[in-house]
Amino acid sequence: MIQIRQVSLWYRDGRKVVDNVSAEIRRGQTVVICGPSGSGKSSLLRCINGLERFQEGEILVDGISVSSPSTDLHALRAEIGMVFQHFELYPHMTVLDNITLAPRKVRKKTRQEAETKAMELLNRVGIPDKAAVYPGELSGGQQQRVAIARSLAMEPKAMLFDEPTSALDPEMIKEVLDVMVDLARSGMTMVVVSHEMGFAREVADEVIFMDAGRFIEKKATASFFASAENPRTREFLSRILT
Amino acid sequence: MDWNVIARNLGFMAGGLVLTFQLAALAIGGGLLLGILLGLCRVSSVSWIYYPSTAYVHFFRSQPLILVIFWFYFLVPILVGRPLGAFPSTVVAFICFEAAYFAEIVRGGLQSVSRGQTMAAYACGLRYSQVQLHVVIPQALRNMVPALTTQAVVIFQDTSLAYVIGLREFLRRVNLVDTREVRSVELYCFAGLVYLVLCSMGSILARRLEQRRGAAPA
Amino acid sequence: MLHYDFEWSVLWRYPYGGMFIQGIWTTVHLSLFSWMIAILLGLTVCLCRMTPLRAARFLGGAYVELFRNIPLLVQLFFWYFAAPSLLPRELELWLYGNVKDLGYLVAVIALGTYTAARVSEAIRSGLLAVPRGQYRAAHSTGLSGGQTYRHVVLPYALRISWPLLTTEFLTCFKNSALAMTIGVLETTGTAAYVDSFTFHGLETTTAASCVYLATSGAVILTMSRIEKRMRIPGLIRRGYN
Repeated sequence: MIQIRQVSLWYRDGRKVVDNVSAEIRRGQTVVICGPSGSGKSSLLRCINGLERFQEGEILVDGISVSSPSTDLHALRAEIGMVFQHFELYPHMTVLDNITLAPRKVRKKTRQEAETKAMELLNRVGIPDKAAVYPGELSGGQQQRVAIARSLAMEPKAMLFDEPTSALDPEMIKEVLDVMVDLARSGMTMVVVSHEMGFAREVADEVIFMDAGRFIEKKATASFFASAENPRTREFLSRILT
Repeated sequence: MDWNVIARNLGFMAGGLVLTFQLAALAIGGGLLLGILLGLCRVSSVSWIYYPSTAYVHFFRSQPLILVIFWFYFLVPILVGRPLGAFPSTVVAFICFEAAYFAEIVRGGLQSVSRGQTMAAYACGLRYSQVQLHVVIPQALRNMVPALTTQAVVIFQDTSLAYVIGLREFLRRVNLVDTREVRSVELYCFAGLVYLVLCSMGSILARRLEQRRGAAPA
Repeated sequence: MLHYDFEWSVLWRYPYGGMFIQGIWTTVHLSLFSWMIAILLGLTVCLCRMTPLRAARFLGGAYVELFRNIPLLVQLFFWYFAAPSLLPRELELWLYGNVKDLGYLVAVIALGTYTAARVSEAIRSGLLAVPRGQYRAAHSTGLSGGQTYRHVVLPYALRISWPLLTTEFLTCFKNSALAMTIGVLETTGTAAYVDSFTFHGLETTTAASCVYLATSGAVILTMSRIEKRMRIPGLIRRGYN
């Protein structure tokens, strides 16, 4: 589904943020990427749907190269959902409009169709009563669930999560994770940047530890937790698994 | 003190106020249109669009309006080939001058929309024009409204500068009455009061809009 | 297009060259004197607005509203034509008899008091931008009110106000051109004055415009250099508008 081949990314100031990484995410798989802040996790995630341009290597989504000039990036992005750390709901639109904007404008659905689908998704994330309110009136956890619904409305083939719970108060983390667990079990292909190791243990097929732009450890979930080899991974794990 | 001087000349001075409003309306309308265009150019990443518009904005913002009015007064007749009179050249001067200030407000508004918002919109597969139309511009406009109102008040005050090339707007007419009647205290207090009332209403409106924006859902 | 013979020599030919130098110099000291008044008065007004005293707060607020919502030109005319006649008769006569350059004096006062209202707002917005937590933190470590202001609040607020104050200084500098309407021959006034002899206003105003452009550029460069030196690492840098 998603193939990452020897990708490297430099920022404009010359810093190397992603350093020659490769991975393959198969259909229906969930991969969790963890690592200290500034290790390049989020940048790599943004490379997958072309929000960030990388200089070396290749990323294929469903066989289509992200960096090829002939690729229609807009069409490609429509197939990949993305959820952000700070939700990024459009503050000037109601929850319902937030969800239906892209289906109506990109998929050319009628308002009726889009809204029916949106209500279905709001039901799925557990807040069907909030369709008419503005994002600013919701709690963080509710906003993030709306953001997930907004991505799902495009019926994506894969979903990218960029630290979806790190801007949330502890009591709200679970409600978002529950939705994500549900999603993973339903067979969605997911790449999740997160430090929620409980979530990783529960649904991830593979866990990657990233530091200074490199994949330090990359293993099937069970063996990642049981036998991480690299001392840096173990140190990191011991720090966040208390 | 002879406050009757105001009543005696009220009609004459009110006529000037009409011209003041006309000039302000043209300056605000024209300036805003040109300003939006320049503001969009100012956030462009294309260098041959960015640099000329930036130079334009910086140039006019470094100039006193009064000088710009003079300059256009001398220049416009040469460009169009015949004398045009004070009003058209003043309108052109105001539009060119105020556009530079509007451009900065527009630019600030566009940049007030965070990168995360545009990223989220792109991530859904929206195109550049759709992102601008549905996500960036509605938010930017909302953020700009108080500053635009304040600028409109400033322009209204600025119109008094057309005095220098003899345009008979409100202040010029007050000045003319004063030359005839020699009642400076009464007349200038009156002029000040008129501007104070009109501009205060604008300022209060701007503040209301600002507060409403602050109170609106984030 | 109308035929127009450019004659740039009006810029340096005797006696106009000397007039221009004189005019530019007048612009410089006129705006500097006004700026000094504006800073002192603006700071006072701002402090009035921040005190717990209701009357002082009201007066400060009224000052700002009054001076900001009346065009500078009207204020200038008021001070020049109307204000002297409000003085006692002897003082008025003395003023007209003994002050050689009344227009200049009036321009400094009018520009200074007008700019003060704007300076006061610039400083206030800086003070208001300091988070409440900073005051609480300073007080909790035992600093007195004065110490809190001196060591914590003012250094913070000044950095926020700095770009605004730079803009206000440039506005004051540009506004000094209005003094020409009451007969002060500063840069713009000189340009119009020389035009009245030579009918080469396009050249004179173009030259004047270059003077403003160069001065603004120099001021902005200096101020942003100072701002950079004062910058606190990790706090967001604010651009000039």
